[in-house]
Amino acid sequence: MKTVAVIPAYNEEKRLAAAVKDAAKFVDAVVVIDDCSRDRTAQIALSAGAYVLPHLINRGQGAALQTGTEFALQKLSADIVVHFDADGQMMGEDIPNMIKPIADGKFDVVLGSRFKGKKSNMPFSRKITIRLALLFTILMSGMRLSDTHNGFRALSREAASKIKIKMNRMAHASEILDLIQAKKLRYTEVPVKIKYTEDTLDKGQSFFSGFAILKDYFKGKFFDEV
Amino acid sequence: MIFQILLIAFALFAIVKTTRQYKKDKVSVYWFVVWSIFWTLLIIAALVPQTTDLIAQTVGVERGADLLVYSAVVVLFYATYRIMIRIEKQHQELTDLVRKIAIMEAKKSDDQDQKQ
Repeated sequence: MKTVAVIPAYNEEKRLAAAVKDAAKFVDAVVVIDDCSRDRTAQIALSAGAYVLPHLINRGQGAALQTGTEFALQKLSADIVVHFDADGQMMGEDIPNMIKPIADGKFDVVLGSRFKGKKSNMPFSRKITIRLALLFTILMSGMRLSDTHNGFRALSREAASKIKIKMNRMAHASEILDLIQAKKLRYTEVPVKIKYTEDTLDKGQSFFSGFAILKDYFKGKFFDEV
Repeated sequence: MIFQILLIAFALFAIVKTTRQYKKDKVSVYWFVVWSIFWTLLIIAALVPQTTDLIAQTVGVERGADLLVYSAVVVLFYATYRIMIRIEKQHQELTDLVRKIAIMEAKKSDDQDQKQ
């Protein structure tokens, strides 16, 4: 089983090296998509031992994930693709638990959950935002999850080839859930630990950016029909 | 009166412009005909505004000028919608292109631990 971690990165020179090295301990290869960063993201990813794919124009996290996933499937012939974060919020040590259900052939998609099982030190304002996102997920895709939108995912080769992310920016997280339903993929949740630090909170999704994501999401739904 | 003259002058200018573009092969016959008809109708409307009133009343609008404004708003909205879709499509095409190049340009510093 060849496992490949896909890490989209945009101006992440400070935290990227640690994230790449952390993930690399638990996977066969790490792919970093440099989404047209203005800092040294690409060099840092290279020296950390990752494959680096340069987006010549910034296309957003969803587009970067899709690029990395396609590369992992086509060029590295990955059996399992893991979506991982560049900012060190996720723990590499969770990867074996994430890929196990797929390796066992029981599921096609594994979603990381912050609330299933383990404890994390999440701030209150972030909790409300996530509750709303969960409600939205139940309404839109009918999936009753304990967590959404945390970005930690593992996909079987089959699932990764079926899920083609079209939302370039942040709405891809909801889009992926919709595709899991539409393609009738078997999914499960696995508890993961997410570290919240002041540093990473600056970059995360705030309550208000949730509206921008909603806008993108509905725009995508609307234009798909055309 | 002044507005009518200005409108006719502009319509004539637009027709000349479209004809030139068509002769230079920059506009298709289709759009040449559509625009020519559009501007000609506008000239007629400017010359004899009463005709627009007649048309307006048959479709249930009181004044011809109002009918023109209403139709203009609808047409503009639809045009904006079409343009938005086109932009969205171009965004997607741009993403596909950027993705293709990124996969072609993929780099890795030490190739010896490339497990195949």
